[in-house]
Amino acid sequence: MHSLKLPRWLVAFVALVYAFLHIPLLVLVVFSFNASKYGVEWTGFTTHWYARLWERQDIIDGLKASVVVGVSSTLISTLLGTLMALAIARHEFRGRRLMEAFLYIPIVTPEIVVGISLLILFVLLNFPLGLVSIVIAHVAFNISFVVVVVLARLQGMDRNLEEAAMILGADEFTTFRRITVPLLWPGILSGAMLAFTMSFDDYVITSFVTGTGSSTLPIVVYTMVRKNIEPSINAISTIILIITTILIFAADRLGRDKPLVHSAD
Amino acid sequence: MNPFALRQRALAWFHRHKETQAWALLAPGFGWLVLFFLVPIVIMFAYSVMPRGEYGGVERGFTLEHYARFMDPLYIKILWRTLEDSTICTVACLLTGYPVAYVIARATKWRNFLMFLVILPFWTSFLVRTFAMIFLLRDTGLINTMLLKLGVITEPILMLYTPFAVMLGLVYGFLPFMILPIYASLEKLDLSLLEAAEVLGAKPMARFFRVTLPLSMPGVVAGSLLVFIPALGSFLTSDLLGGAKEIMIGNLVQNQFTTARNWPFGSAASFIVMALVLVAVMIYLRVRDRDTELGAH
Amino acid sequence: MPTKKETDDLFKNFVEGRMPRRDFIRTALAMGASISALGVVLEACGGAPEEAAKPAPTPAPGPAPGPAPEPDLGPMETELNIYNWSDYIAEDTVANFTKETGIKVKYDTYESNEELLAKLQVGASGYDIVVPTGYIVSVLMAQNLLEPLVKKYLTNWKNVAPLFINPEFDPGNTFGVPWQWGTTGFAYRSDKIVPAPDGWGVFLDAKYKHKMTMLNDERDVIGAWLKYRGKSLSSGDAADLAQAKIDAIAAKANLKAFISAEVKGQLVSGDVWAAQLWNGDTAQATKEEAKIAYCLPKEGAAFWTDSLVIPKGAPHKRAAHAFMDYILRPDVATTISDFTGYGTPNAEAVSKLAVPVPYPTEEELKRLEIQKDLGKAAQAWDQLWTEIGAA
Repeated sequence: MHSLKLPRWLVAFVALVYAFLHIPLLVLVVFSFNASKYGVEWTGFTTHWYARLWERQDIIDGLKASVVVGVSSTLISTLLGTLMALAIARHEFRGRRLMEAFLYIPIVTPEIVVGISLLILFVLLNFPLGLVSIVIAHVAFNISFVVVVVLARLQGMDRNLEEAAMILGADEFTTFRRITVPLLWPGILSGAMLAFTMSFDDYVITSFVTGTGSSTLPIVVYTMVRKNIEPSINAISTIILIITTILIFAADRLGRDKPLVHSAD
Repeated sequence: MNPFALRQRALAWFHRHKETQAWALLAPGFGWLVLFFLVPIVIMFAYSVMPRGEYGGVERGFTLEHYARFMDPLYIKILWRTLEDSTICTVACLLTGYPVAYVIARATKWRNFLMFLVILPFWTSFLVRTFAMIFLLRDTGLINTMLLKLGVITEPILMLYTPFAVMLGLVYGFLPFMILPIYASLEKLDLSLLEAAEVLGAKPMARFFRVTLPLSMPGVVAGSLLVFIPALGSFLTSDLLGGAKEIMIGNLVQNQFTTARNWPFGSAASFIVMALVLVAVMIYLRVRDRDTELGAH
Repeated sequence: MPTKKETDDLFKNFVEGRMPRRDFIRTALAMGASISALGVVLEACGGAPEEAAKPAPTPAPGPAPGPAPEPDLGPMETELNIYNWSDYIAEDTVANFTKETGIKVKYDTYESNEELLAKLQVGASGYDIVVPTGYIVSVLMAQNLLEPLVKKYLTNWKNVAPLFINPEFDPGNTFGVPWQWGTTGFAYRSDKIVPAPDGWGVFLDAKYKHKMTMLNDERDVIGAWLKYRGKSLSSGDAADLAQAKIDAIAAKANLKAFISAEVKGQLVSGDVWAAQLWNGDTAQATKEEAKIAYCLPKEGAAFWTDSLVIPKGAPHKRAAHAFMDYILRPDVATTISDFTGYGTPNAEAVSKLAVPVPYPTEEELKRLEIQKDLGKAAQAWDQLWTEIGAA
């Protein structure tokens, strides 16, 4: 490892990309403390927009709904997607290529088509609109993304370890649990992160399959766009950023002793 | 029967039925997609060959007029421009995303945290993020104000509501779709291979192009597809950062289901784009499978 | 297109019995009212059904023989689901309503008329009150997607100003309780655009190149350019539209953008000097920056009313009426308009507004036009909008 140091220019370039990703975040955070309602110019420091969250029950309810939908749709789509990726990469079956091509359909379908067509289906089935219908929709568009990412990991993954385990007497279940899953983990994690991100910020599809009293945070935010997006949204975004950063940082610290997340390197 | 014996019997059964095993893994996800994706899409396809309803929706009947209408040079031009933009966006994401994925995969201590930082911006609202970008790019925005103060420029540079701003927004939004799959495939890269290459005297560039890049190709391809395909359908970025001055296929489709109330034409336009992408994907899969078969021998 | 006066007279004649039913139907149809709408008017007027109304292809509400008493909606429900635009109600309206009536309100928001329309058309709702703009009310009405109002529950109906009685899109106010009204003109910076502009022509002035925006909405943009040439906002005429396209493309060369979001902020910051905008939003921006003024173009502009309507099959109709009656109270209407910055249709509230939004004068009314649904012309309009976008 140490013999292969990363060139300095590369590190500098990557730092620039991180800056590109995070400078808008910095602006977002700064404006959560801006007195101006329109967030165009700095007119003074205030914590008013944080205090105001106490009055904006819709924002808090939206955040709750988004977390519930995001977590459940991520868990379901990651599980189903990983299983599908395993079947595609590890098994020969008729129509495999067709199945793989089929998985790209949800990625290419315009969101509004997904939204309206799913709504038509739900109405036909007399399925009540609410958090459950939103989760169903999010899983439907997330599975493909998970499969594609996990497949990228699986393809060309060294099977020697698994074969060695089997030769040493481990059965398939044990091999899967002790060898395959840990090896796959970065792929699964990447897929899950992508799924959660898309679910957490989806507006178009959600707006069609949402029912009374189940507005997610993006719905609350997007519908403000014509009038004015209140800086309370910056405030809630800032809170989300801080909480998730702390959580992940802590998890990373704790997880470092047991490097399950890393493959053998 | 004790659990162990049950497990043995299940395994034995699966060994005899390889294909069943595959379908057992596929079934839950595939079933979900068929019911909640394929069925609705088939309904939409039926809509695309029916006459437009005056107030939205469709009327009874069969027609191919919506597909024929799309052949108008106006729409072909829009489709072509969208393809161009998506291609540029994909290349830009690849050039910026690959180095990031590479560095994350090579980082030892901070790997998970670095990856998390890539995704973090996307846990805020798209709109608030975009408005932050507008604040940076405006005539009186942060960048122009700073450049003016520093005396680098005397007139503000027109950045917002230009194709440049749209591209910037698209690249920003799709970068994680490129970084995550490449990271997932690079992370398994066996460093001993690189060390071997180094010992054998390969220069850094040669090591990269001969060893690293080929091994990460599945990630590169997956990332490119995950950027290119959704970029084709994006519409909000061109509205908000481009000032809706250049209509994209995504805007066209969006309009058909809203103001134009021409659902069948919107569906037809979507299916044309979907068909194009699927054909491209099928060709790619065929080539890939042939290559891996050749490589195996 | 019939003028308001004509329709008013027509209805007055009919209601007062000076006009035979058959003639009324024929005249009203010629004026462009939809058949199902007529069915409803006829029913509301308590006339006996006649052959002329029978062959209506759209299902009109079942005609009650004889002077039908207004239906009874049963006991008051304890819940109410409202679906409204964002930022379009005073912050305490819903809470105060709940405090007073004990009715629990679920309040959700949507982004555009079209999104709302698509949802209601597919058949999804569960909402008891939605707030579409006039021309969308007529579309919903034509598709039989609305429940008629039961006026006996609207004790405060008398407060509605005459301007909002019997609008073209909802003859007889059968379905909608007027909520807020406004106009779509443009906002400008009085310090940058001198002399003050008076019409849509400002957007063709290359002096202000890249300092102006129009709304990102085909109805508003094409509508403005139709008005510029003295045509109707809802014209389906090919020649009118061809000219509007030429003007719109000429304006596009000067425009910074077509945007509906973030306009106010950029007017305040001075990035934008002229922006097509609604009067109420301009008023909000003026609060931040006094140099922002509003222009009601001399060539004419859109006058719109958003109404509270009850979607077909709404689960809590009685409670919906209770809410409608509540917002018709002058004190409540005043707080709502003070918050939104738009005009109130409540005649008793209009003088109480903190920032006055007076009703249009006679002279202004001549310039204003209510948007109508485009019907068959929608496709031509969309093609035009796409061409403008691709130009």
